Amino acid sequence: MLILLLLSIPLLACGLTALVRNRRWMEAIHLASAVVSFGAAVLLAGEVLRQGTVSLFNGFLFADPLSALAALLTAFATLACAPYAIGYLRREEADQRLAPSSDSHGTDALPKLRMYYTLTPLFVFCMFLAVVANNLGVMWVAVESTTLASIFLVTFYGRPTSLEAAWKYAMIGSVGLSMALFGTVLTYYSAHLVLGGESMSALNWSVLVLHAPQFDKSVMRLAFIFILLGFGTKAGLAPMHTWKPDAYSEAPIPIATLMATAVLNCAIYALARFQVLTVLCLGPAFSSHLLILFGLLSVGVAVPFILVQRSARRLLAYSSIDNGGIMVLGLGFGGPLGALAMLLHMTYHTVTKPLLFFCVGNAQQHTKSDSLRAAAGGLIHALPITAPMLMLGALAVTGTPPFGLFQSEFMVLRAGFAGPYMSVAIVLVAFLVAIFCGIFHQISQIVLGPPRGVPREPICLWKTVPVVVLSILVILTGFWLPAPLYQLIDGAARILAVHP
Amino acid sequence: MHFWQDAQFGNRMITLMAALLLVLQIMMVTQRWLITSIRSFALQSLLLACIANTIAYYNNAPYIYAAAALMLVVKVILLPVHFERLAKRIEVHQEIEPLVNAPISVITAGLLTLLAYVVAEAFHRPDERVGAASLGHNTLAVAIAIFLIGFFMMLNRRKALSQVLALLSMENGIFLAAISLTYGMPMIVEVGIFFDVLVGGIVLAILVHQIRDTFDSMDVSRLSRLKG
Repeated sequence: MLILLLLSIPLLACGLTALVRNRRWMEAIHLASAVVSFGAAVLLAGEVLRQGTVSLFNGFLFADPLSALAALLTAFATLACAPYAIGYLRREEADQRLAPSSDSHGTDALPKLRMYYTLTPLFVFCMFLAVVANNLGVMWVAVESTTLASIFLVTFYGRPTSLEAAWKYAMIGSVGLSMALFGTVLTYYSAHLVLGGESMSALNWSVLVLHAPQFDKSVMRLAFIFILLGFGTKAGLAPMHTWKPDAYSEAPIPIATLMATAVLNCAIYALARFQVLTVLCLGPAFSSHLLILFGLLSVGVAVPFILVQRSARRLLAYSSIDNGGIMVLGLGFGGPLGALAMLLHMTYHTVTKPLLFFCVGNAQQHTKSDSLRAAAGGLIHALPITAPMLMLGALAVTGTPPFGLFQSEFMVLRAGFAGPYMSVAIVLVAFLVAIFCGIFHQISQIVLGPPRGVPREPICLWKTVPVVVLSILVILTGFWLPAPLYQLIDGAARILAVHP
Repeated sequence: MHFWQDAQFGNRMITLMAALLLVLQIMMVTQRWLITSIRSFALQSLLLACIANTIAYYNNAPYIYAAAALMLVVKVILLPVHFERLAKRIEVHQEIEPLVNAPISVITAGLLTLLAYVVAEAFHRPDERVGAASLGHNTLAVAIAIFLIGFFMMLNRRKALSQVLALLSMENGIFLAAISLTYGMPMIVEVGIFFDVLVGGIVLAILVHQIRDTFDSMDVSRLSRLKG
């Protein structure tokens, strides 16, 4: 039942928002739905911890620790974004960025606000469906739907550049996902030879995993290549990452945050599900090598772009390409340690990234520019709360001790050194150091410096409270992870660490 | 027993139609007229629906008829009509210049077909006895070829709408693989995929319209401001 609750809340919120005509009601519904779905995700996680797995409708919907963790992280990101979005969009409306035409009546912004508040829950619904669908085909449909639901959120501002970003996002995403569909078809074919016959459950992951060792090996090999290219595109792995900086820099901040955390998690989740099947069928070497190749390439591609970046949001996009790469590397190094490192990294990243995006959003609304050069330093005088938190977030996201991401990156490296991938791990260390220098340099450039004589920004609670709460969480998770959450992550890691 | 009830005959029909699919795909590679491209795509989808019907007939599988019906509604009627109306409204009839000229495009398409046959070699089972249950198993090469040529076509086009068509023809390749290898995915997946294709087609068409309105052109090579 909890799964159904989790799925129905965003849909309900989407329907209700389409009906109301008042902005305050939209905001209230949006906030309430985020809170309730987070509650549902927590309850679902508790249920999974007690029972192992929860399934509904003959196993059509299915939650094991891995799905429960992914759903929890999605719900967390949504909850963090909801209050911020209210403050962010009010400010955008006040600055008249929501009404593209010259007439500046307040009512003009309402269609845009309605679009935001209806499409966002739909977007979240698709992500929830992707992680609780047992059927791999339905999972594919849900992941593809996240792209469709978010295209018009990328074109939200209606600028020529947002159209360009949306076009790239739509085309690269669709081509990628059509490859993932091909991979799903081939997986079904290789299973079909064993399971035979037409039955609803023949694409259910929980059924496939039992029979994976008998699958046709040559078909599965081809299938995994397509799957990796497909869901890798959605996760923004290099060289299919090019849509990411554009989409992140053009979408509204809360949407960019959801893309950088929840969508990335969903894509990696899908990849991990297929990785388990592939390892069971072909042994660990084949998929590990491919994952390590793409993971290392993604981290490497991020390095030069971070070092010379001119725009704060694109900087964050490359940071998320880098973090996606680290997760894939963890998955590729494999074993219990690699799987655990990957899931911890996913969790810590989901807590840290929203903090950075919100701080950059506040800075952008203050300076009216996304450029790292235009801000020209001194933010700490104008934004006395946001600016130090931005610094903190930058330190956390680059894996500086004592923050959580340091622990998970360290574990990824340990998994690399423990296995036969010593040289990969050494190259990874070099890349991580370069990325640390790049991000730290860029962020300190805008935060520190003499005051520029601009008045201090008045504090907006909607935009400040999420930042403060998130930074407390970032510090807290560096030292302490709640025991049930750790159990959940550990349970999920056991699912991923399979032996053929 | 009539000759058309023999599975051997069905197998030949499917092979023939799959070959025609490939021919249509290669035709679309060289096609300069947008309207003709849209119609070739509709015809290709129609042939695909026929293949699905043939397989359904020999296997007595009603759910494959349903997949064929969905194909007919979404890809033969709704999307092509929608695209044709869009093409007329924004008054673009001709694909001005693909990046690579026609002869080289055809040679590339030929090479990609060859590549597809090499990849599919591993799955070819010439010794398999042709029966109702193994109809069209050997069309995987054609499916991969259509997929790859569609991908090439997408890179080779500058007009937004013809890129969308190329994307949809790539999906046709996937459907051919799904239908001929496994006789379709489970019904719920099939419905979900068609829903996604329909919504995706409409969303992309709206996007094409917005691009045309903003840039005064459908030429996607003008979308080049975002860098780095």
